[in-house]
Amino acid sequence: MKILDAMSIHGANLSRRSLLGAGGALVVSLAVAPSLTRAAARAGSVLDATKAASWIEIHDDETILIRTGKCDFGQSSIYTAYRQIVAEELSVPVERITTVVTGDTDTTPDGGGTFGLLRGAQNLRKAAAYTREAVLELAARKYAVPRESLTVKDGVVSGGGHSATYGKLVAGQDLRLTIPVSGELTSFMGLQVTGAPPLKATKDYTVVGQPVKNPSLRPKMSGETVWVGDVKLPGMLHARVVHPATLGSTLVSAGKVDGKLFPTARAVVVGNLVGVVAEGEWEAIQAAQSVAATTKWSEWKGLPGSDKLYDHLREKVNWSELPAAKSQASSGDVTLAPGATAHEASYFFPFMKHAPISPTVSLADVRPDGSVVVHTHTQNPQQLRGSIAMMLGRPAADVVIRTYPGASHFGRSNGGNAGSEDEAVLLSRAVGRPVRLQWMRAEDMQWSTSSSASTSRIRIGLDAKGRIQSYQATHDSPPMQDDRLVGAVLAGLPNIGAPGPGNPNGVQGASMGVVDSWVYDKIANVAEEGRATYQIGQRESPLTLGIRDHSMRTPVQFQQNFPREVAISEAAALAGADPIQFRLDHLKDERFRSVLTRLRDESGWQTRPSPSPAARATGAEVVRGQGVSIMFRDQGYWACAAHIAVTPATGEVRVERVTLVMDLGIVVNPLQLKRQAQAGCLFGVSQALHEELSFDQGAITSSDWYSYPILTMAEMPEIKVVIAARPDVGDYGQGSESANALAAPAIAAAFFDATGKPARRIPLRPEYVKAMLA
Amino acid sequence: MISLTVNGAKRSVRSSPDTPLLYVLRNELGVMTPKFGCGLAQCGACSVLLGDEEIRACITPIAAVEGKEVTTVDGLPARWARQKKLSAAVAKGKLHPVQEAWIEEQVPQCGICQFGMMIKVTELLEANPKPTDAEIKTALTTSGPSPHLCRCGSYAAILDGAHRAAQLMRGEA
Ligand code: FES
Ligand code: FES
Repeated sequence: MKILDAMSIHGANLSRRSLLGAGGALVVSLAVAPSLTRAAARAGSVLDATKAASWIEIHDDETILIRTGKCDFGQSSIYTAYRQIVAEELSVPVERITTVVTGDTDTTPDGGGTFGLLRGAQNLRKAAAYTREAVLELAARKYAVPRESLTVKDGVVSGGGHSATYGKLVAGQDLRLTIPVSGELTSFMGLQVTGAPPLKATKDYTVVGQPVKNPSLRPKMSGETVWVGDVKLPGMLHARVVHPATLGSTLVSAGKVDGKLFPTARAVVVGNLVGVVAEGEWEAIQAAQSVAATTKWSEWKGLPGSDKLYDHLREKVNWSELPAAKSQASSGDVTLAPGATAHEASYFFPFMKHAPISPTVSLADVRPDGSVVVHTHTQNPQQLRGSIAMMLGRPAADVVIRTYPGASHFGRSNGGNAGSEDEAVLLSRAVGRPVRLQWMRAEDMQWSTSSSASTSRIRIGLDAKGRIQSYQATHDSPPMQDDRLVGAVLAGLPNIGAPGPGNPNGVQGASMGVVDSWVYDKIANVAEEGRATYQIGQRESPLTLGIRDHSMRTPVQFQQNFPREVAISEAAALAGADPIQFRLDHLKDERFRSVLTRLRDESGWQTRPSPSPAARATGAEVVRGQGVSIMFRDQGYWACAAHIAVTPATGEVRVERVTLVMDLGIVVNPLQLKRQAQAGCLFGVSQALHEELSFDQGAITSSDWYSYPILTMAEMPEIKVVIAARPDVGDYGQGSESANALAAPAIAAAFFDATGKPARRIPLRPEYVKAMLA
Repeated sequence: MISLTVNGAKRSVRSSPDTPLLYVLRNELGVMTPKFGCGLAQCGACSVLLGDEEIRACITPIAAVEGKEVTTVDGLPARWARQKKLSAAVAKGKLHPVQEAWIEEQVPQCGICQFGMMIKVTELLEANPKPTDAEIKTALTTSGPSPHLCRCGSYAAILDGAHRAAQLMRGEA
């Protein structure tokens, strides 16, 4: 194809090529910048700018296609907020964006994990800004008018007596816009669009802010959508795996398949990985159960047991083995003045599960030439691709990841794998056929990663007037990002490193910084520290598999905000102050102050100190209490009030009402934000009331929904979501995650208000509640 | 060969009689809306209607539904058309009011649990056209073999969706 002419647009490059056939389009592709050395070499043809791996296509029929390496995990953002942000930057109606191509490593450009989605949208926002500028430049040339005389509105470029739609301006031409990028495709963050194209002023926004509905719901609810578990490959076998008896057991001998009972089944053994494949799914399930019953594993004990976890973390772990990290807010002198009153206590947050409603399922097709296609539901397809390639010792160019909707798993796969992908690949390679591997419920509870446990020690010094004179916190937690492929670990194949100080990838290291942003800007003396250790059992296990930790909703910040906010409420009680007023007294930030005042008005808050005058820790009658928590996250100001009822005699806690007030600046989509906040909040209520991973000395013993209960609908509190939009701020904050972290500290504070006894750990299960009240 | 009616059509299946209905629907009959969640009758992701009653396909052997009528979310539009005696022309392309309400109210987060939720709510609304909040919560928590679980926490949206579906089924705007 001949390049007819080319021009530079704010550092991007627009070229016009000779057109083959009818039609016409402006295709925004990646520039292969020299900084892309490793990714480019590994990624092969995907980064060829003339291929379809482009960001945005403007078609002559006025439709627009966008592509993102991010995937939908139930928040809808890539189908709502992403389209709105791109439409806004292009100044076209949002309906014009008719296609969103997501996730697949061979058809999307940027990679990176699906988290902090609005930050992730900045890639497409910039790509859109480059595109709009290119279209304006095209129009300027076409009509021979100065660029400055042109404006664009509702998809129409006009000025100098001319006007034309985007579609008209690209019609009959083959246009390529190449934009600058940096980063590494198969890394945690993926690629970033660089340069500084002019962005539309937020005061002119008309599309961002609209309650756009999620277009992916109709095909989902009608049954049209193909979910990952629905994918069928020609010639595929169904597979199940038989995992070791404990997190440190190695294979002694694998059980045999009874060929009479299970005529098409066969066992596959790769190192310590035992799998069973069969033509039919029911046969595979039954054959795997019979193989499991006769497979022998070595014994191992290397875990403290969940009932001893708190003591283990406080007394057995050497927290000075790895370097500690101080928070940015740390300053001043936290020494207690002589005679000062102080609140000092320890707090505990257990291991929890992501616990998707459907266990991880994926399909792998390893072809005779060694190329691999994996079908799965992952938050980071490009990083999964990199790690599968590493496991197989092949270039990333040989691996394609295709993505589908699936059960949300809340951060589990943001570093690549959701659990079953690598095992499916190894089984497919062994049998030479495509394989569909479905983990069963117990596997998903016991062999996936867990959200890290944490303990915190907090001391708050009060002066004679009851104001906080010093705040000191130490947060201790194993690391948060074990992205290893568990099948590769079992099979003894090359893998991403275990979390540890030597891990070359920072996010998979072992440090534990202070992530909970400090908000009490009137407190002069602050010392916050985060300390890390190795994963529990990791160094003891011959497999190097301890309790594998992974980020989950509001990671690290949840573990640190819970103790901080509960402690602040306890300090307020010590000062004899109302917990909302006490917070107002310790922060200047105007946005936080208005969120807190709004919360007081919207939640039916009684202004008074805790505990409540009616507080009681005994008896069969219900006692009620109120509690508050606040958080700053992703440019968002959040406040939450919980109203709860406790039955001291039974230890039952009921959350009756939760009020959430949020100021996120510009709200991209209030409809989706409300649904995200409600759902996130209920997830948090579930964590606060029910959730704790149980394990014995060798194995995880949570195996189903009875041994790992989550919130049911009957337990749902009334939820009030108040969106205090502040468009004047000129930027948007992130939506959904904070909602889930706020519930637990507010509920714990309400428990203290109701009973007069502190709740310094979650979950508030009856047996723990009774111990707290004793 | 075991015969049963699935979404209005008579089907004969080759799977062995002990095979759970869920695997027969998904693997032999290509009916994909019932999802695998636990295989233990603990979550409701696999719920289908057997006649008018919600059951868990993951633990129901195919032999137990011989000759019976199974409806999944795929079959809800036709079920509604039959109940309302809608002509083929009117029914064409229309979803069941419960599905419409789920879209209108933007109920799902990830959506994987919602097929079971919609089945349970259909069972409820066919018997009780104007349920209270408490009746909806009871239906989805204690009326079946286990609570219908949503990990994403969409229960508030489900409550809105169920009330909206009830309105639509009563013919209110
Ligand atoms: S999959 Fe049947 S109830 Fe969970
Ligand atoms: S919407 Fe995700 S599990 Fe219910």
